[in-house]
Amino acid sequence: MSTKGTQIPEWLKVPFAGITPAPTQEKGQDLFPTGNWRSIRPVYRDKLPPCNNACGTNEKIQGYLDLVKRGKYLDAYALIKEDMPFPSVTGRVCYHPCEQACNRGKYDEAISIRAVERFLGDLGQALAKDVVKPGKPNGKKVAVVGSGPAGHSAAYQLARLGYKVTILEKSPKAGGLNRGGIPDWVLPQDVLDREIERLVELGIEIRTNCEVGKDITWEQLKKDYDACVLAVGLIDPNSVRAEGENKDGVHYGLPFLRDIGMGTSKVKLGARVAVIGGGNTAIDCAREALRQGAVEVTMITVEAHPQEMPASPEDLHDMLEEGVELMHGRAVTAVLGNGRIEALQLHPAKFSGAINASPINVDKEAKPERFAVDNVIIAIGQRASLKWLPDEFKTERGTIKIDRFGRLGDTNFFAAGDVVQLGSGQPLMVVNAVGDGKRVAFNLDKVLRGEKLEPRTIPVDVIFDLNRMNMTYFPHFPRVKQELLPPTSRRKTQQEVIQAYTEEQAVEEASRCFSCGTCNACDNCYLVCPEPCIVRDVRSNGLYKILVDYCKGCRVCIEECPTGCLEGVPELDFETGVVRMDTAFAISPGLHGRQAEELKHLGDRATKNI
Amino acid sequence: MATAADVKKRMVRINGCVASAQAAKYADVDVIAAYPIRPYTATMMALAQMVANGELDAEYIVADSEHSQLSISHGASSSGARVFTGSSGVGVQFAYELYSPISGSRMPVQMMIADRTLDPPGDFGSEHTDALSTRDMGWLMGWSCDAQEAFDNHLIAYRIGEDPRVLLPQMVCQDGFFVSHITGDVELPDTGQVKEFLPPYKHPYPLDPRHPVSHGPQIMPEQGPPLQLERARAMEESMPVIEQVHEEFAKIFGRKYDAWLEEFMTDDAEVVFFLQGAHAVTARFAIKHMRDRGIKVGMVRLRTIRPYPTERVREALSKFKVVGVIETNMGLGSVSSGGVLYSEVCAALYESDKRPLVMSFMAGMGGEAIVLKEFYWMTEKLMEAQKRGKIEKRTHWVGFEH
Repeated sequence: MSTKGTQIPEWLKVPFAGITPAPTQEKGQDLFPTGNWRSIRPVYRDKLPPCNNACGTNEKIQGYLDLVKRGKYLDAYALIKEDMPFPSVTGRVCYHPCEQACNRGKYDEAISIRAVERFLGDLGQALAKDVVKPGKPNGKKVAVVGSGPAGHSAAYQLARLGYKVTILEKSPKAGGLNRGGIPDWVLPQDVLDREIERLVELGIEIRTNCEVGKDITWEQLKKDYDACVLAVGLIDPNSVRAEGENKDGVHYGLPFLRDIGMGTSKVKLGARVAVIGGGNTAIDCAREALRQGAVEVTMITVEAHPQEMPASPEDLHDMLEEGVELMHGRAVTAVLGNGRIEALQLHPAKFSGAINASPINVDKEAKPERFAVDNVIIAIGQRASLKWLPDEFKTERGTIKIDRFGRLGDTNFFAAGDVVQLGSGQPLMVVNAVGDGKRVAFNLDKVLRGEKLEPRTIPVDVIFDLNRMNMTYFPHFPRVKQELLPPTSRRKTQQEVIQAYTEEQAVEEASRCFSCGTCNACDNCYLVCPEPCIVRDVRSNGLYKILVDYCKGCRVCIEECPTGCLEGVPELDFETGVVRMDTAFAISPGLHGRQAEELKHLGDRATKNI
Repeated sequence: MATAADVKKRMVRINGCVASAQAAKYADVDVIAAYPIRPYTATMMALAQMVANGELDAEYIVADSEHSQLSISHGASSSGARVFTGSSGVGVQFAYELYSPISGSRMPVQMMIADRTLDPPGDFGSEHTDALSTRDMGWLMGWSCDAQEAFDNHLIAYRIGEDPRVLLPQMVCQDGFFVSHITGDVELPDTGQVKEFLPPYKHPYPLDPRHPVSHGPQIMPEQGPPLQLERARAMEESMPVIEQVHEEFAKIFGRKYDAWLEEFMTDDAEVVFFLQGAHAVTARFAIKHMRDRGIKVGMVRLRTIRPYPTERVREALSKFKVVGVIETNMGLGSVSSGGVLYSEVCAALYESDKRPLVMSFMAGMGGEAIVLKEFYWMTEKLMEAQKRGKIEKRTHWVGFEH
């Protein structure tokens, strides 16, 4: 009898002929953990979607689009409010770098993120009580100088952190560039007013008509507050340095818009208006000029083509639709007229180097061109007004000198927004100022809590490559267009040009989001797993948990993950877990493990005199 | 036990195929998995009639191949059904994948084999290679030599295979044509006798939604050896069960078979034939004739090859001077370069103190009959070797040598 004297060890015994309990998730597979067949392990690793990455304040765009898709508007609003104090504003004015970065743009059309943001912002406006609450008071006082986007954002985040915040605003009304730099037909005043109210609801004190250097001194700021954020913006308009620029009828972009915004404008435009400059402010000025009664508006730029203009393409498109003419490759060399502007003298011009970032070469040898106008609006940027600032904190370009954390030396003064970003290469846009204000607020908080400021070193994996996702899951689907007022009627009105999404439109558009690289709980992995290895009700590093004791590493879930969140990570990369190579076919550690252990001692038992 | 008065037996004249079908009917099988191939087909034809006539209440499933036949049988047996299936020749081979899983999951499926030679030559004649090629797959296996024995072996095999100490599938083999298609007198028992002999099939862990279990799950490599060991144990532990069942069969039905070997005129024999199956019938005639002429020849017929009765074979054959193994199977390039039975015999004799000379005859190949004069020729070869004290060569191809 060959089987005489044989014994089966307890741990390998099964009831009968391999018959086991039925495979249920609770118990059945206990006997046969197949996880150690695996050479790779599926892991939910959220990547950074390109929209979140491109956003100046790193809004969790993918996150709120996903919530909108699911009808969880309030959650979506709360999520956006983590990084953005006024989505109702950016939902209207943002130059949306997120949409330029959107992976869907490479596939059909980018997601209309700004429109969804506006939908959420307007939802927030309608709430009787905001979802955001002030932090637990920490007894510290911070002054924020300026109530534009950067100051607004810094004050908002600081209030959420528990600081007693006072905003000092030199104008009679808070809002800064949001109020003075953006026309009503883009951002209605009452929308901004509501967002300012939200700041007050957070316990922030807003002192208007309070100008630093005049109503309050540097020393007072230092004495009265634990810290201070300088977000004073760029106030003084740049001149074209042309002969006769001081003639009547010459206006400057930002003051032109600001006075209209504040309701204090006394400007009366003639029929023919020229706007100098090719940026967003210039476009706003040109369009505003139409609304102020101009009949012919011409935009004169040094840039040789519309594509070179540092403006958002939609705004440019809408402007041209309204009838503004473009004139490229010219610079104003003189303002002609007898006391009052009658014409502009133009010369051919181009940038000496990189477009918008190098000195302008004017061809003075060429025959000058006379361009008859009744008014000119010069919108070629602004500069800071920093007479009150100690010299040690001034840069050569006339901005505030800060370290990489936005701090002025080792003081408790921080600066944010255009006043530090000018010339940094960062576009001077609302969202970038908001992000700057937010980061500076967090840095300020760290300093006051005595923490060390350190740069972020965690590498981020931004998912740009569509091949990292499974595109078969995404049918082509056109972008939901926002309604616009017809160009003819909008030339004469301060009514908003771009119309809001309806709820249905917002949901439809948000549903187009690929959720690039990020688990959005689509259930696909759960459904395609050929074994019951994925459970939905337990979170680990995703919205699902992989039962590593059973997962054989077949990769089906990884291949079928639409968003590219699931990754196959080599099993040997894990410190803990099921498999090491020497027990690759063994249960904990199993017979093979024991054999391996015995093999180690084989040498000890060998006869010495072999 | 039924008394003689209660028993309603009857004699019928039927062939081996119909005898097998009758046995399945008496065993009251639950599921029949059929797929035609000659010569066993006649069994399924008979069963189809029985089911159609209402004589037998069973699921009669016509499969789309032998592979499906055995798959159906596996599943049906797992659910607790008594299963009957069968095949011949290349059909047996086509289902090969299922043999180990069925025995591995210890399902007592019964398969009737009416041997057919494998291709070539593509004829219907008997050669045992079809079933013998599966001999190490964990199935109980043995050959009948006539229709009555075929009938009896089916009942005996169910009883052994379904015994909770065994739980193994069985191949109940009979030579194609020589048994399957030749009619003989068969005593059909009283159903009461069968009921007494063969209790209903009961698997310890059938597939049943009320008590869910998992059959044949994926397991770890180190969990395989214990299952093989258990299957080996079951095979070995079946041996006393086999003997016990044969005794009980004799008590109830009155026909006594030795579980392992039939010895014919071996008492004072010096040379013997060792074989399986139908050619034993011709061998008995030949031996009687030769005995009349004073030749001390006999026959040992192997009735059960799996489990292989090593001790019994050694004891039985050690008594003789020369053993001639009649193969009726192919073992190309094997130990004897002839059939596979030779090595089974020699291995059993290796530890014997008195080893006889052993030689092998390739006879009855391709379904050819082994005629009387060939038995005489083979006997001469055995006697020459006895005289010489040495074999001339291990294997003789009968009919091709002088």
